Amino acid sequence: MKNPLHKRLLRDLRSEIGKYLVIFLLLMGSIGIVSGFLVADGSMITAYNESFEKYNIEDGNFRLSRQANKAQIKAIESLGITLYDNFYVEKELTNGSTLRIFQNRDEVNRVCLMEGEMPKALGEIAIDRMYADNNGIQIGDTLADSKQSWTVTGLVALSDYSCLFSDNNDSMFDAVKFGVSVVTEDEFAGFDASELHYSYAWKYDTAPVDETEEKERSEDLMKDISAEVTLESFVPQYLNQAIRFTGDDMGSDRAMMIALLYIIILIMAFVFGITVSNTIMKEANVIGTLRASGYTRSELIRHYMTMPVLVTGAGAVLGNILGYTIFKNICADLYYGSYSLPTYVTIWNAEAFLLTTVVPLVLMAVINFIVLWRKLMLSPLRFLRRDISRKKQRRAVRLSSHIPFFSRFRLRIIFQNTSNYCILFVGILFANLLLMFGMLFPSVLAHYQEEMEDNMLCEYQYMLQVPLNAMNEDNKLESLLSMLQFQYAVETENEDAEKFSAYSLQTLGEQYKSEEIVFYGVDKDSKYISIDVDGADIVISAAYAEKYNITPGDSIVLKEAYEDTEYTFYVAGVYDYSGALAVFMNQEDLNGIFDLDDGYFSGYFSDTEITDIDEQYIASVIDLETLTKISRQLSVSMGSMMYIVDGFAMIMFMILIYLLSKIIIEKNAQSISMTKILGYTNGEISRLYIVSTSIMVVLFLLISLPIEYEIMALLFRMIMLSSMTGWITFYVDAFIFIKMFLMGIATYAVVAAMEYRKIQRVPMDEALKNVE
Amino acid sequence: MFLEINHITKAFGEGDNRVEVLKGIDLRIEKGELCVLLGPSGSGKSTLLNIIGGIDSADGGDICINGERMADMKEKQLTMYRRKHLGYIFQMYNLIPNLTVQENIEVGAYLGDHSLDVSELMATLGLYEHRAKLPNQLSGGQQQRTAIGRAIVKNPDILLCDEPTGALDYHTSKEILKLIETVSQKYGNTIIMVTHNDAIKDMADRVVRLRDGIIRKDERNAHRIAAEDLDW
Repeated sequence: MKNPLHKRLLRDLRSEIGKYLVIFLLLMGSIGIVSGFLVADGSMITAYNESFEKYNIEDGNFRLSRQANKAQIKAIESLGITLYDNFYVEKELTNGSTLRIFQNRDEVNRVCLMEGEMPKALGEIAIDRMYADNNGIQIGDTLADSKQSWTVTGLVALSDYSCLFSDNNDSMFDAVKFGVSVVTEDEFAGFDASELHYSYAWKYDTAPVDETEEKERSEDLMKDISAEVTLESFVPQYLNQAIRFTGDDMGSDRAMMIALLYIIILIMAFVFGITVSNTIMKEANVIGTLRASGYTRSELIRHYMTMPVLVTGAGAVLGNILGYTIFKNICADLYYGSYSLPTYVTIWNAEAFLLTTVVPLVLMAVINFIVLWRKLMLSPLRFLRRDISRKKQRRAVRLSSHIPFFSRFRLRIIFQNTSNYCILFVGILFANLLLMFGMLFPSVLAHYQEEMEDNMLCEYQYMLQVPLNAMNEDNKLESLLSMLQFQYAVETENEDAEKFSAYSLQTLGEQYKSEEIVFYGVDKDSKYISIDVDGADIVISAAYAEKYNITPGDSIVLKEAYEDTEYTFYVAGVYDYSGALAVFMNQEDLNGIFDLDDGYFSGYFSDTEITDIDEQYIASVIDLETLTKISRQLSVSMGSMMYIVDGFAMIMFMILIYLLSKIIIEKNAQSISMTKILGYTNGEISRLYIVSTSIMVVLFLLISLPIEYEIMALLFRMIMLSSMTGWITFYVDAFIFIKMFLMGIATYAVVAAMEYRKIQRVPMDEALKNVE
Repeated sequence: MFLEINHITKAFGEGDNRVEVLKGIDLRIEKGELCVLLGPSGSGKSTLLNIIGGIDSADGGDICINGERMADMKEKQLTMYRRKHLGYIFQMYNLIPNLTVQENIEVGAYLGDHSLDVSELMATLGLYEHRAKLPNQLSGGQQQRTAIGRAIVKNPDILLCDEPTGALDYHTSKEILKLIETVSQKYGNTIIMVTHNDAIKDMADRVVRLRDGIIRKDERNAHRIAAEDLDW
């Protein structure tokens, strides 16, 4: 005979449709989003990894101030590498962005055509697909600078620019204001030689076996090449952010998503646990009768596990279908919105399946099994008496009779439901944590932007550059004259301008990725930066102090970028500046320590624009727009992602609050009906039961906020340290707390109203029938 | 002897709150006997029934059914003992709310090796026309009849009835008692019925009176009358 209990399953599903639907949606949504993300991430990482071979990506590049001659190339190639010209020009376009233009490559760093055609004639150009997207440029559009224009024939991905870093030292790439492109050989030949940047890509004749060897070889290579030519920059592939950042970031996104998945799994485990406990409580009489009749524990465990596991299975199947179709495309679009990646093929992701499908299914089965197995250890009699709590209530808490009756009643309800309220608190904590996770980033970025605005060293920071002909080693006289001319030309009449020296060192990169620290040597009586230090004493920026937990009195050790030379400094103070990881010291001391001339300076601080220095002597101007590049790019690349997390968090939050509040109100339904029988009005009943739970919900929402803040601050710090250069201060806008609180209250109000209506509909005799 | 109850003791609570509910109960029940356990509230009759039914444990003493000692049984064996030998009827019917009358009875039938025919039993119990109804569509008496059906359908050796008429009115109670009598006569089950209704003793073969955890009186009913003729 077939077990007649099976006939209950579908009816259970119908009668508990709210609960199962919530679990189903929770699972389907979580599995769909996470699996979609992991599948897209896995497929794109594979495409990215394969692109190294497919597009023959360089092993490194260096830039010279002028073109290397044949002898120099021969000497460099004798070091075990092959060189490829990768020259480029940079054009300031009329749309306000900078376009780096290369000649189309056919040997190294080959180009992936995403849409349209490669340029074939003069005046044609193929531009980076993401740069085009971010600037609303389409095939057929015309790009122009002040002198000439190009017609866009195609959208491409340059394999050595999967991430649009214009400078390898930048904290963040900028796919809005910076783009890359290719033109034909003839078009490129038409550019003025003075505009050319002599960049050379290299490939090792014998590839290094691992990153350690790659590092050693590149360090040796740099020294050997330096002996032949004067390097302007030297970037081995493993340090090249334009190539490597994408892979690293996709990896860290994956880590973040897996962290989110673990939070979700924890919440699921929690929800499953309380759901099954609640089922046992509701079914206590039935379980007791069945056990007394001779049904074995395993028969009942199987029976009560079937529906949750089936619902989980259905959620997993549909979640995966959504993950591989809709969500995968959404996530892939997010990556295409951040990185200039080549085309990809969807790859079955066993890990995603394991994490998003097998784990929740097993978790559901195991949690159900453990809870049922533990509970069913109790005797049938305990079930028949509905006495299935393992903890025995000791004595009633003494309450003064001076406390009004209704307040005492409410307190009794709270004491009686302590364990349920504890569960509710944990649930609120989880749900709010997720909500904060989703709401946090826009607030952090907005705060960062505000901080930049309020906290700038000056309105304009000019970095000077020595013209190329001042370094012409073949013509010493011309070089000397150019240098004298440079020194004269970079003097300004602007009264706001104040000279400073700049130098950069690298962190040692022991615990975290090595990154650049900018040293500012400032005048003793500076009107922009007020510090009072001498010698090797320094003041560090607040961002630097916060990121590396450095306090005044500490010593820091930094090193030269391409050398082993190390410097130790004593930190005398922290300067309130969050714009960069920077060090401030006396200008004379900086010049002395780094062997620069006494009168050496690198640029100007100024609150007004400097107009009397020729543009050719200005390497860069750091203004508000430059400083807010990080937040701008993060907003572009993470914005849509955060909206997904945000929406998902809100749904999760509502589901959790709904489930937990429902359980508490349901557990009290019988008592509520009883008070109705006694003659209490609906208003009085709601003042007793609903208000008690409402007080606790409000209390928990408030208590959970600072705890969530601390947890999130810790998580944020870990993410920042592991995946970003530079620093963004963790900041939660007070409005977020208010929003979270109000959302919690609103969600609870809906749930309470729904439950209260349900309770009102329960006939009083029904309540009596169930009372033993 | 079919059922031997030897010096059963049971206490609840600890220290000052300790209450001895059963203080050494000895009882022998023959196969096919209808035995009524009578006594006021707190006399220990339901506790004794639960211990016989293997859903509560005794602190001391022993119960033997057909030569099998319950004290030697582990949890699994106790379950099989209940499955094989026992049927339970409670004051609160404890029907499965989302199963029909027929399905609730089938829940019991599933457990037996030689279960009775469900349709025939429903006809005997007067439930046939209600077989497709859910418990909440039934009256209290119909619900209790369904509970009897669920208990009896596996044709257990012993039918344990804990205040089976406790929640029912006079007429419905008599109906239920008549059914229990019919079942007992038709299928030859041993029936142990707990009640505080003194009148019910008249339909029993044997009446055991308990008070304060001990048997005050254990007598054979020489003038047994039909359930039909009971009055209170």
